[in-house]
Amino acid sequence: MESPVYTQLTELGVPNLICRLVSTNSSDAPTRGLRARGLRTGGLRPERLRRIPFFVVGGAALALCVALSLAMGARPVPLSTVVGALFGDASGADAVAVTGLRLPRTVIGLAVGAALGVAGAVAQGVTRNPLASPTTLGINAGAGFAVVVAIYALHLTQPVEYLWFAFAGAAGAALFAQALARKSDLDPVRLALGGTVLQLVLLSWTAALMLLSQRTLDEARFWLAGSMAGRPLDVVWPVLPTLVIGLVLAFAVSPALNALAIGDDSAQALGVPVARIRLAGGVAVILLAGSAVAVAGPVAFVGLAAPHIVRALLGSDHRVLLPGCLVVGPLLLLAADVLGRVVIRPSELEVGIVTAFLGAPLLALLARKAAR
Amino acid sequence: MTDTLRTAPSAPAVRTKLVTPARRTALLCGSAVVVLVVLATFSLTHSDIPMSVSVALRALVGSGDGGSVLVVQEFLAPRVAAGIVAGAGLGVAGSLLQRLFRNPLASPDVMGITGGASFGAVSLLAAGASQLLIPLGALAGGLLAALLLGVFAWRSGLGVTRLVLVGLAVQAGLAAAVNFMVVRFPTELAGAALQWTTGSLYGRTWTEVWAAAGATVLVLAVACCLHRRLAVLDLGDESAGALGMNTSVVRLQLLVTAIVLASLAASVSGPVGFVALAVPHLVRFLAGPPTLGTLTLTGLTGAVLLLGSDLVVQHLLPVEGLPVGAATATLGAPFLLALMIRQGRPVDRSTA
Repeated sequence: MESPVYTQLTELGVPNLICRLVSTNSSDAPTRGLRARGLRTGGLRPERLRRIPFFVVGGAALALCVALSLAMGARPVPLSTVVGALFGDASGADAVAVTGLRLPRTVIGLAVGAALGVAGAVAQGVTRNPLASPTTLGINAGAGFAVVVAIYALHLTQPVEYLWFAFAGAAGAALFAQALARKSDLDPVRLALGGTVLQLVLLSWTAALMLLSQRTLDEARFWLAGSMAGRPLDVVWPVLPTLVIGLVLAFAVSPALNALAIGDDSAQALGVPVARIRLAGGVAVILLAGSAVAVAGPVAFVGLAAPHIVRALLGSDHRVLLPGCLVVGPLLLLAADVLGRVVIRPSELEVGIVTAFLGAPLLALLARKAAR
Repeated sequence: MTDTLRTAPSAPAVRTKLVTPARRTALLCGSAVVVLVVLATFSLTHSDIPMSVSVALRALVGSGDGGSVLVVQEFLAPRVAAGIVAGAGLGVAGSLLQRLFRNPLASPDVMGITGGASFGAVSLLAAGASQLLIPLGALAGGLLAALLLGVFAWRSGLGVTRLVLVGLAVQAGLAAAVNFMVVRFPTELAGAALQWTTGSLYGRTWTEVWAAAGATVLVLAVACCLHRRLAVLDLGDESAGALGMNTSVVRLQLLVTAIVLASLAASVSGPVGFVALAVPHLVRFLAGPPTLGTLTLTGLTGAVLLLGSDLVVQHLLPVEGLPVGAATATLGAPFLLALMIRQGRPVDRSTA
């Protein structure tokens, strides 16, 4: 028995569904005619109506997370002291903890989260694959291996020194994964499997190197967990250029990613330079994911989760998806970081471990959806 | 009279086609056994204490001087036996999984079963359990991963793609747990934990090996009994269903068999990567389409590969103490690359 409300809803839902199909399949194909027709018949789509509330609520949640990130930890600081410390008229241990330790950490979290979120969205757009992300493509494992090699061979001791090795390792793995993705176009399972296998190889080499040398194990295992703790703001400056270039590139290709979503041939027919867009998107992913892993170490699943959350709320127009990820990525990362500081106080969990724990069930859910 | 009638039609067929697939498989099995014996003998004779073949073999059965008997029986033979048991288990498990999922990249390492084994082993290490209990922990961990896999992937039957993807997720979650413990451990324990997460045959004792060997043989027998159903399932779900088979139940049975095999192997050797992935491909390349004979060959080849890799780690590489898992991963990587590139060609999606 169907209630009248249900039938009413389905009646209402039909045009809604069609709208949704139109917006996901040919999401804003860059032809004036389509857009004009959409305006004439339908007016605003539901996703479009949600944009403003989404960004308002997302911004507020992000501000809350920033405040929590500044206030929570082994030594909880009242918000008034936080404000005082930030604007310079408070002193004492609390204020030092806020400005000296938690402020850099929060800024790093914002930058890394934004980079991971946008990198995930672009990776998913370029490979047309809902399972692509810095983790599943093996980029994090590549960075980890490069850093362990560097520690083993060059006797590095400071996370600041790992920076460019992590970047190089991430870039190498990303290049490999993208070659793989090109080969196995359109099959999410195969790409995910390929990335996992690449990850397994790199992880076993990493483990072998760490077994060979106790010193390497001691140095690397904390970095490998992925953490934003104990890093000065100095680690952000070197990657700032790559981060900014990556973001600009990502936003530049975002309209073309919409065309890519309808298939290579159709995109080509619409006049989109498919190969060049792929290349630019790939470079953006490397720059963003490489910067993120260089600063914070391998942090899993933020890059996978952020685009999916935004897509569920705002639809899959990349021109909105990317700004959305810019908000949701840092939000997820900071929330995980705060959670890691709270759960086993006075000690703390590395943020990479928290995101992996929370992200694994999410990946399982996505997998259920992706594979019918 | 009846004898001549019975043999007459078959005789010319044999004469015209001397190398039937079955004979070829039998031949390959024979050579695999020979290679296995040679490798085992080599690893008994070429240890830190070199001894001649006759001395080593006599020491194996308990005669000869006390020193060499002790070395062979307590240190060398368990390692060889562990390699054989784990290699055979991994090979057969990989073959079963690849056929079940009709996906050439499915293997216990990708699906998180061996990751679960590392999780179990490392958890027991963390709890400070005795060395003997750790393989049990690995076994339990593998089964736990399989359980999680089932819980997440079961939705009115076991879909192929869903299982593989959920396997990735389970793998990731358990790896995070292992990572957490490695970060929290003191350094010596972290080293031992890493050893368990990479896969190594180092320091196995007879108790562990016998227990795992007995269980593995039992499960292998079950796998042989189920092989006929697997062959029907290979026809595709619809055809198998039309033949009166409950595909979900049969897939579950086979899946459990493969998972138990892989967990048992991981409880002896830790999660040695790529043996389960590579061996079925190798066997398919050498011996053609899968039969019960090629399943046997898969087990033997797995044992040869793992034992050979262990010898490479012990003798060919200049550095001491590398885990065998690192060697198999290094051997597996180029192989995998070739596989991916070959797979990159457009395939028939209805079979994928």
